[in-house]
Amino acid sequence: MIKRLFDWLIQPLGLIAVSIAVLALFSLAAYGINTTQQPPAQPIQFPHRTHIAFGVQCLYCHPGAARGPAAGIPSQSKCWGCHQQIAKTNDPKSELRFLKAAVESGTPIQWIPVAQVPDFVQFNHRAHIAAGKNCEDCHGDMTNLTLAENPQVFNMGWCLACHVKNAGDDHAKLVKLTDCGTCHY
Amino acid sequence: MSNKFSRRDFLKLTGVGAATTAILTGCGPASRYVKREPYMQMPEYNYNGLSTFYATTCRECAAGCGLIVRTSQGRAIKTEGNANNPLNLGKTCARGQATLHGLYNPDRVTDPMKGDSKITWDEATQVVADALKNNKPEEIAFLMGTAPDHLFDFVSDLANAAGINVPVRFNALSMFESRATLSKAAENLFGKTGLPFFDVGGAQIVLSFGANFLETWLSPVSYTRGFAGLREAQTKMRGKFVQFEATMSSTAGKADEWIPLKPGTEAMVALAIGKLAAEMKGVSASAFEGANPEDAAKKSGIKLEALEHIAEMFAHSGGALAIPGGAALGQSNGLAVAEAVLALNALADNFGKVGGVYISALAPMQTEYHGPASAQEMQDFIKNMADGKFKVLFVHGVNPVFELPAALGFKAALKGVGQVISFSTFPDETAAEANYVFPDHHGLESWGYQRVATGAAQPVLSGAQPVVSPFYNTRATIDLLLAAGQIAGGKFALTFKDEVEFLQSKVAPLMNEADGFFSAPDINTFMASFQQYGGWWKTTDGRTVPAAADVLNKSMSGAESKFAGEGEFFFVPFVSPTLAEAGANKPWLQELPDPTTTVMWNTWVAMNPKTAEEMGIEDDDVVRIVSEFGELEVPVYKYPAIRPDTIAIPFGQGHTAYGRYAENRGVNPTDLLGQNFNEAGDLAFAGVKVKIEKTGKKKPLSRLESIMGVYGVGMGEEH
Amino acid sequence: MIRPEEIKMSSEETGKWGMVIDQDICTGCQACVAACAMENNVTFVGEVDSGYGRSMHWIRIERFWEGEYPEVKMTPNQPMLCQQCGHATCEPVCPAFATVHSQSEQLNLQVYNRCVGTRYCANNCPYQVRSFNWRDYERPEPLPNQFNPDVTVRRRGVMEKCTFCIQRIHKAQDKAKSEGREVVDGEFTTACAQACPASAITFGRIDNPESLVSQLGHRSHGVKHLEELGTLPNITYYKGG
Repeated sequence: MIKRLFDWLIQPLGLIAVSIAVLALFSLAAYGINTTQQPPAQPIQFPHRTHIAFGVQCLYCHPGAARGPAAGIPSQSKCWGCHQQIAKTNDPKSELRFLKAAVESGTPIQWIPVAQVPDFVQFNHRAHIAAGKNCEDCHGDMTNLTLAENPQVFNMGWCLACHVKNAGDDHAKLVKLTDCGTCHY
Repeated sequence: MSNKFSRRDFLKLTGVGAATTAILTGCGPASRYVKREPYMQMPEYNYNGLSTFYATTCRECAAGCGLIVRTSQGRAIKTEGNANNPLNLGKTCARGQATLHGLYNPDRVTDPMKGDSKITWDEATQVVADALKNNKPEEIAFLMGTAPDHLFDFVSDLANAAGINVPVRFNALSMFESRATLSKAAENLFGKTGLPFFDVGGAQIVLSFGANFLETWLSPVSYTRGFAGLREAQTKMRGKFVQFEATMSSTAGKADEWIPLKPGTEAMVALAIGKLAAEMKGVSASAFEGANPEDAAKKSGIKLEALEHIAEMFAHSGGALAIPGGAALGQSNGLAVAEAVLALNALADNFGKVGGVYISALAPMQTEYHGPASAQEMQDFIKNMADGKFKVLFVHGVNPVFELPAALGFKAALKGVGQVISFSTFPDETAAEANYVFPDHHGLESWGYQRVATGAAQPVLSGAQPVVSPFYNTRATIDLLLAAGQIAGGKFALTFKDEVEFLQSKVAPLMNEADGFFSAPDINTFMASFQQYGGWWKTTDGRTVPAAADVLNKSMSGAESKFAGEGEFFFVPFVSPTLAEAGANKPWLQELPDPTTTVMWNTWVAMNPKTAEEMGIEDDDVVRIVSEFGELEVPVYKYPAIRPDTIAIPFGQGHTAYGRYAENRGVNPTDLLGQNFNEAGDLAFAGVKVKIEKTGKKKPLSRLESIMGVYGVGMGEEH
Repeated sequence: MIRPEEIKMSSEETGKWGMVIDQDICTGCQACVAACAMENNVTFVGEVDSGYGRSMHWIRIERFWEGEYPEVKMTPNQPMLCQQCGHATCEPVCPAFATVHSQSEQLNLQVYNRCVGTRYCANNCPYQVRSFNWRDYERPEPLPNQFNPDVTVRRRGVMEKCTFCIQRIHKAQDKAKSEGREVVDGEFTTACAQACPASAITFGRIDNPESLVSQLGHRSHGVKHLEELGTLPNITYYKGG
């Protein structure tokens, strides 16, 4: 049985079939990788740019960034604090109808986090803000963005390049910032 | 590629292909795009990614240790001891740590149940209301756990108001601790009931007669702290510790000297030591006059020199202390043992002194000691059930079908009760027999308080508050009883709005008490502090000094105890230090190795290796153990530190229900026990003799000291 | 290859974090084991796998027997966990550099995402304190609600071991830094030390002579296990008695 399968596979036609299968596999994988680099679809087309244009500070909605590991997504009551006073919220055609519906029905909006690190990385926003990093250094310029997008891949090389640059000539700092145990535990 | 494309090459190629697919799709969107739900309304003290800490009380046993629970995003993550609570000072035992495996256990009761079907809480409330209304008050009974908590107070108030039976408290730990014997002995000798407290930490020499105070006895965290104080050697001399016990428990394992005396001779030995020590001190004490050290040495199997040596240490030490407990009291002469050992303390003249014996502080709002029911009182309770005197039985916080010896017939007696309603959060054996299960919240989800019966110098009331919102469709039992009481009407209609209001009404009088750990001008401030600190306690010592005057002149009996049954082995059941009576459903407690044998996930019978060899029994051989009251089959562990004429089995496993981690695992040694009590009404659990029969079967035990996979031993399955 | 004369003994303190364990007061109650499991998302493996020695305890209580009945003696309970060696035998054998020495904290790290599961490190550890995830052990819902978000949940094929609760170290350092101060001795401790009812475990900075762990560590009769191998362990044991 298996022998016959081999015999067929090593014929030109079989080889072509194998090549097609391999090609299909790789293109599928390439597509998979590509999708990871696209910003995910969100339940609401949240316009970061509009909020920033109104002068809302990043830390107003994401206060966790200055205090602890996670920046956090604001609670709906926080959104509503402003939006209940804004006429556009009641516009049934605007994107805000989703917010209104969510608040009125009391169902949480299911956001898709964009800037993520894998489970085995322990990232702490606070230390980065305290070190003088600005939000846009990692998350990019949000003034022109609707949905959040990642300006770069959050991989270890990118993290380390910045760590090394920031440590400069300070050896103790370099040791700390390039220690595996600083992020992985 | 040539025609010589071998099968090997083909496998290689497919292998590479499969690996590539796995690696590449592993980075795909599915694993990346998780959803995040923000709070609808974030509590103002909360920040994303930062933990919130709540003070509450551990409900795993009746000791009442304070906990600080770390929560994150509305989930309980970790329990730590509450450093403010004077009972445990920031420490916990293994069971306190694993309480989260009870909270997030996959097998909890999720909804109110009628038999196997879910019902609504409205229906449940109606059922309870009907049960209260349609039966005479004297036909309604409550059975509850050992912990004297807010629910016990509530049901007591309900009993006062409506004339139903006063709630009965019981649990296997209080049975194996022989609490009734301890308090009865204190009453006989000092004329005052109460739980004796032994200040191990201040002593210089401790003689313990069977008291397993480093395992589960009374208040293990507090006594372990005391033990650390005993051994502390920087600021004083290192204290010595001698344990008299037929098998080396993990407490005895820490002793400087372990004396494997013959079970039943404890009273005799204690009196003999008393006589020798009294002679050395030149004190005349009629209590010890009847003792005969030579005879005691012979009968107990202890060398006379050893007795003299111990008596000498005891007589000449500045801080001598003797503790009765555990298997020594669980015998037909248990009360005599307790009195004889307490008399040793009278000889050491340590009553009310550092390193001596006290009567435990009564908890705030408590005027007299109120102990849990003894096994004999439970027998009377069971008789009332069987005789149909109770038409409805409410069970909360105890699992009597599992915890009481089967021979006492609790399970059969349930048939005599018209309606059994369990409030268990877990599908335990009693809940399985009940007509209805109306699950209470888990301890970490509920309000309450718990009186600390012993272990702390101060009077302590440990407070509890929900650290997370209820995970399932459960309801606080007090809320259910209040709602049902309103429907039933009449005397059942108490005026409280809910559980929290009841709680407030109970703790409000503490605001006016002197010497509080905190005080407050009004009830809201007081309750806020009560929750913040995890309870209320005094800053003053509440322990009382036992009356020493007459003790040495009482007459004491050193007669050997009587054993039920004809077997050739003394049988010593002991509470598993890691599982205790209700830990078997928590997987991490199952995987904690027993401190003495390192066995996990199962029950064993400990046998002396020489005895086993003589009987042709090897490790892991399953033997049948037969007593007058029952029999069971259990694998053998050849335990090097047990008398050749004694066997020991841990209590904690052998569940037939109680969730996936507990079910059908190990055996329950109470199956070998029965109507066999001491003078104080406690079960004479160590007063049974048993026979051992070989079965020819083998059941490999899972041990940390693993022998599996080595020397051809396996667990019976290919792994 | 280290020649015997090159072996450093414990008198030369090299570590940063260290522990003192008083075996005389350890009662073997397993509170530390449970606390560690809860803090570090350590999985349980079930009866059969634990019987084969695959249980994942990061800390275990050892006890041995001396003599025969009736003169039998249980040796003092010995909590055994990663000794965070200054010169660890597990480190040089890892082909993936997954077990490396932290230069900043002086700990032996286990980098889960680098680990490929050769188990060389466990075979080379004289203390036998590393445990390997032989399977993806099931923790049915809702048990994962209890997971500590500060610690990675490991999966099959990965080695793991005690980290001296490095997440707590980082948290304390982070807090101290945000308040513009140094970490104070006793400000935080490991899960095992925090739970221990007898306070038999003390954790802290051994490079700070003022810390409690240094003070305790300088008592005369302390023992460092297998230090003759030149591993420079950072845990001092007292047998007492």
